[in-house]
Amino acid sequence: MKGLMYRNLKIYFSNKSGVFFSLMGALISFVLYLIFLRQNMVSSWSSVPDTKLLLDPWLIGGTLTITAITTTLSSLSLMVQDRGKNTLSDLSLTDVSYLGIQCSYLLTAMIVGIIMQLVMYFMMGGYFMIADNSPLEMAIFPQIFGIIVLSSFIWTAFNLLLLSFVKKIDTLGKIGTIVGTASGFLAGVYIPIGMLPTTVQQFMKYTPALYNTAIYRNILMNTQLQHSFKNFPVSVLNSFKDNMGISVKWGSQILTNQQDSLVILSFAVVISMVAVLIFRFSRRVVISRA
Amino acid sequence: MKLLQAINLTKKFPNKLAVNNISLTINQGDLVALLGPNGAGKSTTLNMLIGVSQPTSGKIIFGDKSASIKDYKNEIGVVFQGSVLDANLTVKDNIMTRAHMYTRTVQLNSLIKKFELESIWKQPYCSLSGGQKRRVDIARALISSPKLLFLDEPSTGLDIQTRTKIWEVLNQLREDTGLTIVFTTHYLEESENADYVYIMDQGKVIAEDTVAGLQQKYTQNVLQLDYLTGETTTTTLDNKDEAIKILVKNAKLLTNFEYRPGTMDDVFMNLTGKEIR
Ligand SMILES: Nc1ncnc2c1ncn2[C@@H]1O[C@H](COP(=O)(O)OP(=O)(O)OP(=O)(O)O)[C@@H](O)[C@H]1O
Ligand SMILES: [Mg+2]
Repeated sequence: MKGLMYRNLKIYFSNKSGVFFSLMGALISFVLYLIFLRQNMVSSWSSVPDTKLLLDPWLIGGTLTITAITTTLSSLSLMVQDRGKNTLSDLSLTDVSYLGIQCSYLLTAMIVGIIMQLVMYFMMGGYFMIADNSPLEMAIFPQIFGIIVLSSFIWTAFNLLLLSFVKKIDTLGKIGTIVGTASGFLAGVYIPIGMLPTTVQQFMKYTPALYNTAIYRNILMNTQLQHSFKNFPVSVLNSFKDNMGISVKWGSQILTNQQDSLVILSFAVVISMVAVLIFRFSRRVVISRA
Repeated sequence: MKLLQAINLTKKFPNKLAVNNISLTINQGDLVALLGPNGAGKSTTLNMLIGVSQPTSGKIIFGDKSASIKDYKNEIGVVFQGSVLDANLTVKDNIMTRAHMYTRTVQLNSLIKKFELESIWKQPYCSLSGGQKRRVDIARALISSPKLLFLDEPSTGLDIQTRTKIWEVLNQLREDTGLTIVFTTHYLEESENADYVYIMDQGKVIAEDTVAGLQQKYTQNVLQLDYLTGETTTTTLDNKDEAIKILVKNAKLLTNFEYRPGTMDDVFMNLTGKEIR
């Protein structure tokens, strides 16, 4: 299985344009932010001091979620490609078991997701450190790394489910585009959740992206939030968090980081179970394509 | 010794009977050709033998017992009609990652030498010429030292030198290791090297035998006369006494003559009433 994972990783990383395009959603959110989103938000929260320092980690949080979604999808697409050609049959002639082959796609996607999130994290963190003097706190890195792994896991499961419906290689490109765009909205990056109609907000709460972003932002912004809001009543802080998608509210209850993580984990479990069920049914179809 | 047998294999696609009740026997050490025009069902047959597709009916016997692909996947190597190697990876990565997918120890150095892969070792697979690609394909299929190698159209699209080169290596390999090879082709000349030939058309085996047997069964001998005047005539003639008579009668007028069995072209022509290409 190691040999196969190595192959899968090589295929992802040796395709430079593929790597670039799998980061497209993330790059768009980053550029969009630099060009005008930040200006907008800084002016609408002008009463809060150091808005820039507040918003930089806010952006990082959302962009990491997008990265997790799109890069795991891109890596996992190899599964569909191999299935569409005779590659899967060819692989099944080796000593790697069928289960091993499938797991290697999943593990590869997770590893790709972790690596690419780390790359994006340090790229954006480094940029903001130079451009805005935003601190890159190493103390929170272990927590961030934990969330990076968790995100890779949930989105690999999610994309597995998504791709179990894809039979044709041509469809992959379209799915990639749709997911790339949708993730920016669902993660609350292109537009802060508070600016969306309530029905849309409600819908977003049924997808894991929102919670994923919220945890990231909570951890990344924590120090700066305490600084910026120390002279404001808690209600102002809470409404900022709510509007900006830093915490998710169920009714009147504001979810904590642990609760967010639990929500994500539950999503992951349910999604995995559905994916495995579908996979069971289609197993015969998958091996012998005709 | 019988290595692999297919008995009454049939493959129905929703709107197409691709393979219609065919039986094959592949003997240990033989070079077996499946010859047929485009769409004859060669690939479909091969795919059933290597477990890529399930036969609609019929069975496969490996060694001496009824088998599914699981029982003999360790013993076979496959080169698919459309290559399945990873285009963006180098030859080295394609070969080495594959080698790591086997738990048994594998012989790489001799393969690399035989198929002359050193000079293209670091090149991405997609940048190779057709012949080079084929060499890598075959070398990779042999990594696990299989007993039985399947080649689906190994030389389609290759020029004659490259084709000859590839067969030289394969024949050498057969001599050295006793490798059994099953290949599909629509080149008649290529099938002439085979120990046994199955001719397929429209999903059926329409004839099977050794090359000599097929020629004998399905063609008449050909007498070719080269005259002093530079003229050449060919006549089909299946009677040696008759031939000798003609030769004696014309002896003074001839520079040369040839009396030979019909070619595989003639076999195919006579069986199907059409040219294969
Ligand atoms: N998955 C499929 N679904 C429906 N029909 C198929 C499928 N695969 C093959 N066929 C049909 O079965 C017939 C035999 O195809 P096959 O690929 O076995 O031919 P072939 O002898 O290998 O031809 P070629 O020399 O062109 O490779 C063709 O008519 C083809 O259209
Ligand atoms: Mg074919």
